[in-house]
Amino acid sequence: MEIPYIFTPRKDTGLVNSKIAIWLFLASEVMLFGGFFSAYVYLRLGADYPWPERSLPVLPGLINTFVLIASSVTVVFAWAALKMRKWRQFQVYMAITVACAALFMVLKGIEYYLKFHHQAVRLHDYSIVEGHLGYEKEDGKLVLDRKGHPIEENMIRIKAEKISFSTKRYHAAWVEEMLAEASHHQAEINLEADITLVVEEGKPAIEIAKAGAPLSLELLNKIKDVHIAALAHNSQLRTVALREAWKTAHEANPGKKDRELSEGVGIDMEALKPSMLGEIPSVTFVVASPVELLFKPRDIKEGPSSSTLRDDTVITGKMEDSPMVFHYVDAIDFQWLVMKAEKKGIAAETAIENSWLMKNHDFVREAWEWHLKQTAKKQKALNDRYGFKKDGTPVRVLTEKELYRMGWKDLAEKGVDTKGVKISGFDKLKEEFMGPNYDARGNETFEELSVPRDQIRYASKFTPSWNNYYAIYFTITGLHGLHVIGGALVLLYYLLFGRKMYLSNPEWLANRVEVGGLFWHFVDLIWIFAFPIFYLM
Amino acid sequence: MSAKAASHDSHDHHDDHADHHHNPGWLAKYVFSTDHKTIGIQYGITALLFLAFGFYLMMVMRWSIAYPHQPLPDWMGWIFSDTWKSRWLQDGKVTGETYNMFGAMHGTIMVFLGIVPLGFGAFGNYVTPLQIGAVDMAFPKLNMVSYWTYLAGGLVMCASFFMESGAAKSGWTNYSPLAGFADGQIVNQWLAGQTQWLIGLVLLITSSLLGSVNFITTIINLRARGMTWMRLPFFVWAMLVTGFLLLLAFPPLEAAGIMQLMDRVAHSSFFMPSGLFTKADGLADLAGGGSPLLFQHLFWFLGHPEVYVLLLPAIACVAEIIPVNTRKPLWGYKSMVYSVLILGFLSFIVWAHHMYMTGMGSSVSTFFQTTTVLISIPSVVIITALLISLWGGSIRFTPPMLWACAFIPMFGIGGLTGLPLAFNLVGLHLHDTYYVIGHFHYVVAPGILFGLFAGVHHWYPKITGRYTNSFLNHLHFWPSLVCMNVLFFPMLVQGMAGFHRRWYNGGDAYLEKAADSANVFGNIVREHIDLNIVMSYGAWALAVAQIPFIINFLLAWKMGRKVENDNPWDATTLEWATPTPPGHGNFTFDVAIYRGPYEYSRPDCDKDYLPQWQVPDKNARVSEGESEVAASKDTH
Amino acid sequence: MADSIEEIQKSKKTYLAVFGALLVGTVLTVLVAEAPGWLYWLDVGEHGFDKWDAIVGMLIAGTKASLVAVIFMHLNHEKKLIYWVFFGAIFFFACLAGLLALAKGSPIFDYLFYK
Repeated sequence: MEIPYIFTPRKDTGLVNSKIAIWLFLASEVMLFGGFFSAYVYLRLGADYPWPERSLPVLPGLINTFVLIASSVTVVFAWAALKMRKWRQFQVYMAITVACAALFMVLKGIEYYLKFHHQAVRLHDYSIVEGHLGYEKEDGKLVLDRKGHPIEENMIRIKAEKISFSTKRYHAAWVEEMLAEASHHQAEINLEADITLVVEEGKPAIEIAKAGAPLSLELLNKIKDVHIAALAHNSQLRTVALREAWKTAHEANPGKKDRELSEGVGIDMEALKPSMLGEIPSVTFVVASPVELLFKPRDIKEGPSSSTLRDDTVITGKMEDSPMVFHYVDAIDFQWLVMKAEKKGIAAETAIENSWLMKNHDFVREAWEWHLKQTAKKQKALNDRYGFKKDGTPVRVLTEKELYRMGWKDLAEKGVDTKGVKISGFDKLKEEFMGPNYDARGNETFEELSVPRDQIRYASKFTPSWNNYYAIYFTITGLHGLHVIGGALVLLYYLLFGRKMYLSNPEWLANRVEVGGLFWHFVDLIWIFAFPIFYLM
Repeated sequence: MSAKAASHDSHDHHDDHADHHHNPGWLAKYVFSTDHKTIGIQYGITALLFLAFGFYLMMVMRWSIAYPHQPLPDWMGWIFSDTWKSRWLQDGKVTGETYNMFGAMHGTIMVFLGIVPLGFGAFGNYVTPLQIGAVDMAFPKLNMVSYWTYLAGGLVMCASFFMESGAAKSGWTNYSPLAGFADGQIVNQWLAGQTQWLIGLVLLITSSLLGSVNFITTIINLRARGMTWMRLPFFVWAMLVTGFLLLLAFPPLEAAGIMQLMDRVAHSSFFMPSGLFTKADGLADLAGGGSPLLFQHLFWFLGHPEVYVLLLPAIACVAEIIPVNTRKPLWGYKSMVYSVLILGFLSFIVWAHHMYMTGMGSSVSTFFQTTTVLISIPSVVIITALLISLWGGSIRFTPPMLWACAFIPMFGIGGLTGLPLAFNLVGLHLHDTYYVIGHFHYVVAPGILFGLFAGVHHWYPKITGRYTNSFLNHLHFWPSLVCMNVLFFPMLVQGMAGFHRRWYNGGDAYLEKAADSANVFGNIVREHIDLNIVMSYGAWALAVAQIPFIINFLLAWKMGRKVENDNPWDATTLEWATPTPPGHGNFTFDVAIYRGPYEYSRPDCDKDYLPQWQVPDKNARVSEGESEVAASKDTH
Repeated sequence: MADSIEEIQKSKKTYLAVFGALLVGTVLTVLVAEAPGWLYWLDVGEHGFDKWDAIVGMLIAGTKASLVAVIFMHLNHEKKLIYWVFFGAIFFFACLAGLLALAKGSPIFDYLFYK
């Protein structure tokens, strides 16, 4: 059996199978990315917060565009080389294409890495601070977590006295983390009270664990097993009892409907009691000498004296000061604050003056005053160029972003202007790629800032969770990146293993490369739209 | 050369062929097969199993609706362990949460894992290449990958029943923000049922994407000589349109699924608005600023074409079965073809009629109301053509024909009850009531499923070489027909009375208020609540009625009456020109097509059917549109 | 598509020309968006980003995309069927994006009603 039209086109359609298929696939891809781009339009039109315009470094995106366009040309040249039966040329062009793909992904990876390590926080008054967090230190040395990573200064600190685990569910990794932290502080976590339960119907209760037994996963698992088995047993008993009760009720009241009887039908729990097994819904451990445990903000609902982890573990103990500490602040953003204020009819300047940042941090005030001078200069430049309307307002005004956001470039300029911090030309060029150079500019430019926990409305790294701009940016470019990788692998396959196909039927390989090339061009095509949308708009 | 001769002659040749060129191991032949027929059967059996599971979930739900105070009886609960039951049942009673889980999974399984794979995957795979005279699909390996991706997606979804979180509980539509929050207590979100649902969905969409690319390419490029577009059986047209719907409508849902996945695992806020507050967790720790409506738009952009993805394969089966069993051509073949094309086109721009109550805007609602009313025209053309096809035919009530005949009125009820829902104003009253449930279940269960049952019985002889048992079929058919109506008609009544579609206790909670005579709604509920019990009995009986089918399906495979020849129904389309069952490579002769697909009872022929592949008699009068030498005029 | 060797040689020149055009287009997009220094006159519409920047940016991107589709992807001499498939998809994408934007733009809570 041979499937026709694999390398020779069918006469009436003029197409080989793979070509129809790839175009159908591309049609489907149009709809997939179309769905995402439509979502972008919808989210942007409906945004109830200042959309972060042009907030990515343009240079890497621009270079990536060049790289992808170049690879598009080389892939079509590779196909042309095959058509002309020049194997060596094909290899060269295809190799360049794949290399371009790799370069694209490396640049993309750097961009992602930088974003994932950049922190932002939205305060209660909607002002935003961006920058780099400091790390937890003890006696001047970095504290490492269970896996050997430094811990960022953004943890909820609780002086734990008691820990109650739900016996249905507890997250093993967190238990281990607690144990590690406790042992770091030479503290012990021990069972509070004896656990004595009936584990077999009709038999006396037996001891499962003694008070003072140290916390361990094995112990928790053992208690969990007993509890779950008891639940299953007891619930089965109750089910049978309820069923019996209904049977009796139906027999006693023929013709009556369930809903007329339901009030009087129930389980006689007293009668069941002797056959029930012991359940233990939660188990409490005492921390021998109260010790400070650290939790990631996302994992815990903190309270002044008792906090709950996402796996229902309750930690009793005082919550200590748990500020979020920026080692370097590289942007202060009042756009959202202004937007909220203007909705309430409050003037932008007043709102900013009254913000928590301005009131509590002198350097913010200093920076803001410097920024006001800069914006006045910029506005003047615009006025000189474009003049005024008849009613006296300027023809062109600064954007909200220029007015109310102090980005890292503004702060860097201020550092140069007021503190005389100079950095070399190469470092400056590097900044266009990698963002602010904290080491070179230092704390004189990017100051330290500590945000108390109760001032935080929302905090996140520059990941999809920060806002929907980053969410859609990462989703579309991430998916695009997967397409780049997939396409490059296919092209690489033709490059490495296409020789056999070429020797048996060069037209076959040419068709394949054309099809692979079509996909490659489509990937380029998506980027052509993604680049201006995400980097320039 | 007659049909019988054609296939008989080459039967030997085929065996020959098989021996020399194609002798794969058991695993390659039956499990990892690239043969479209085997894959079709795999799809069919998997889909039937999923349908059975979905049916089971429905029975548990119906128990909860009819008897909210009683524990689930053992004959329904045996499938789950005591531990599972202690987690999900309250003293053996179905809880609201469990009901939601079963409801969400019932919908998902029936739509994505049951009917689409049965209609498109099974029949499409088995029949389409045969009907166009192709040796296989254009990309056999892709076809295999498509099936396995589907199975993986289905298993991932169903596995979540046994996880800590349980399966998805936010309805089969999975609306955010509910679906974004659900299972939030699970620490590792990748193991939450709601996330598994999304992963499963992405796998299923990948599968249908691969499938549809394959189908469309096959239909476009692998047609036999002489098989011009207007000689394609209607079945193939329907599959072509279904393929395009899958190809173009599914990706936006995939986009939505990926975005919801991001919402869950990367804490983005695509579908989460600002200021979300829940009783359990307080203000959500999210960026906010997203739009729940966006999810609904993207979901229903798929959702409506999906209805036709479900429906078209069933109509396709019926459209094949009716001409064979009435011994007359399909009435209005061309208008049906154009209708199905228009139907496919329009189905892309009607989606927001599922969203009238979302506050989407009156001008947009008007647009969607208009297109929705428009789309009923091609559907009615198709159903009318099928109805007229019966007129004046000498109908043979074979097993498939019984189902096909029942399909028309049942689908008719489903379709006509849909019309009021197209209108904004009526939507205000009927939205989210049992009326909606009744409407689309009439379309899907007695409509589409009857069509697919018809297909099973119609092609069974080709697949196995044996007929299904007629008596068992009657035993299956009549109770099914009655029970379906007992089950679904009261829903329409309850719905118009205002019963909400998501009450896990069937409205029981409103009865307390009914005592107060001023509470009109409570009294209405009391008047109609007993229909719940009627419907539930319908459901149990319907379950019993499926037993003869299962027996029939299994027994006939080995013990059914053998077919007399390769074309047991005396049909005209190409699948009946193959040996029974068709071997690898399908055809044993050089296929060429000389005429349209439904040449029955032609006055100029001796027999009452003239197969597409029968070489015209040189001496006979050549009728119009019948090219003598197919190859010269047409393709190759 | 070009099948003979001469034609392919000829079209290679076209490819290079398109490559140049794409590079120029990319630089142009960035310049229009940034309008740096003496190129301030490239800033269309209001100062900074506004709808005109979006329109110009999308026009340039659209032109670049068309060049890729028409020349690199050989849509300039492709079969009718391919046109149907691809442009069909683009049409349905336009339906999706357009109707979504329309739905966003016409809320039922008409503010005039509540004024």
